[in-house]
Amino acid sequence: MIKNSFIHKKQNFETGLRKQFASTMIEVGKIDKRLIVIVADISHGILQPFNKMFPGRYYNIGICEPSIVNMCAGLSKMGFIPVVHTITPFLIERSLEQIKLDFSYQKLPLNLISVGGTYDYSKLGCSHHSYSDLASLKHFENINLFVPGSSKELHYQFINNYNRSQINYFRLTEFPHNYNFQYTKLIKEQPIQVEKGKNLTICVLGNKLQNCLELTSKLKKYKVTSDLFYINKLKPINLKKIKDSVNNTKKLIVIEEISPYGGLYEDCLKIIHSINNLDTLHISVNTFIRDYGSYNDLTEISGLSSKKILKKVLKFLNVN
Amino acid sequence: MNSDLRKKIVTIIKNSGEGHIPSSFSIIDILDYIYGNVLRQKKKDLKKIDRNYFVLSKGHAAAAFFVVLSKYGFITNKELMTYGKKYSNLGGHPDMTKVPGVEASTGSLGHGFPTSVGIAMGLKIRGNNNNNVYCLVGDGECHEGTIWESANIAANNKLNNLIVIVDRNKSAQQLMPIENMEKKWNAFGWKTFICNGHSKKSLDQTFKKIKKNFYKSPICIIANTIKGKGVSFIEGHGPWHHKIPNDVEFDTILKELNDKK
Repeated sequence: MIKNSFIHKKQNFETGLRKQFASTMIEVGKIDKRLIVIVADISHGILQPFNKMFPGRYYNIGICEPSIVNMCAGLSKMGFIPVVHTITPFLIERSLEQIKLDFSYQKLPLNLISVGGTYDYSKLGCSHHSYSDLASLKHFENINLFVPGSSKELHYQFINNYNRSQINYFRLTEFPHNYNFQYTKLIKEQPIQVEKGKNLTICVLGNKLQNCLELTSKLKKYKVTSDLFYINKLKPINLKKIKDSVNNTKKLIVIEEISPYGGLYEDCLKIIHSINNLDTLHISVNTFIRDYGSYNDLTEISGLSSKKILKKVLKFLNVN
Repeated sequence: MNSDLRKKIVTIIKNSGEGHIPSSFSIIDILDYIYGNVLRQKKKDLKKIDRNYFVLSKGHAAAAFFVVLSKYGFITNKELMTYGKKYSNLGGHPDMTKVPGVEASTGSLGHGFPTSVGIAMGLKIRGNNNNNVYCLVGDGECHEGTIWESANIAANNKLNNLIVIVDRNKSAQQLMPIENMEKKWNAFGWKTFICNGHSKKSLDQTFKKIKKNFYKSPICIIANTIKGKGVSFIEGHGPWHHKIPNDVEFDTILKELNDKK
């Protein structure tokens, strides 16, 4: 972990997570010569300042993701801290065997930073979508799964974890939430309780926090208040707070913009399944989205827009 | 051709009921040459980062690898004899978290070579121009896309500290033949040599030529070998690929190897 003076340094955060990634690499690059940034022909422009500041520590290798990931096992063996960055399905799903064999089994450290999770690349079609990256990685040993919902979260998650001897996966969203968490909350609390209520427990993963804040605001008109928990780290995860809340509310809603399999909902069920008279609602991406359009168009199609979420929740609560 | 090492290979495979005898026989002379004449490394040297590296990418020939690691003092003979047994560190494919001298846990083909590219790149980034990375791949393994992706990466990054040895035992030939192997590596920007992988003299000439000259590109040595080399009825691409000899076959193999000493 980087010393505290660095962590507490005042930061101006970028508006987008990808730009923040480039800025964070420079800050860490200044203090850690072991950091090597490798991309597969993406974000090449925004990483040029890093390239110029640290010659020989930036490589735009080419379009051969499994080999790039595999090659990083060699760099990792040599004591470097590789950061590999490209589009989610190619970085994770295409290179899954390399991550499993060359890093998880061999216990070598690696930082994976993806862009374009779920349907962020909405107009490019389903070849560029990825819903099951987190679920695929979740089984692996020695892995941290980060789902930062803002630039600030990405920055602090990276500087606090990048040099641990394990695999770190940072899944960057192109559509961050606007909630500004205090540093201490981000570092010390997991999950982070955003709102307190009596009738309902809501768990939300990453950028969908924005929709949940709109949801809880609208539910108040129906005299429904919620314990709202925000999760930006899927593994390891401690859900005791969720269990305590559900014990009181008896109602759990999990909202996550990923596959319905192997995500936050399953983790919650493992810990709350023994609670009597329990009702749950899972809102996730239930099927492949084959359509094109804007990100908002695809959230509408997948049932994850604020409007669709509210409709499902009101039906679940039997409120009119 | 080293009969004693072959006898050890067939003994540990027979004892454990696991192993690839023909693949191990095709590379054993190359491994023995590299550890005896090129790497010149001891177990205590493994703690250093700046040193030579050897990666066995075709991990199913692990029995040959372990026999050579035992010969050169990386593991004990007693440990070698645990090969394939319950709780042994040695199994059908090498595990780098368990065995000193194993630089990559291979088995799924096409993984060890990209790792070697990363190690060679790491040496370059460290400013080390004195050490090399040696990687042994199978010609059948050259069907894997990662081999050629990584060959491109190595050439583009001018990794002239990387030497790949292709065990051309003609495994590829029976499946999806790779014609003009030499031209293919050349086309990918590598300097290519051809030698006899069972002849110490031929290996010696090739490695001395590499040592004597300066090449700007990574180097590929295509080592012509015979799968199962040393035992007449195992040679070639028949049923012996993953077969364990019965008692009679085992005695016959040892006899044939003894006769060739």
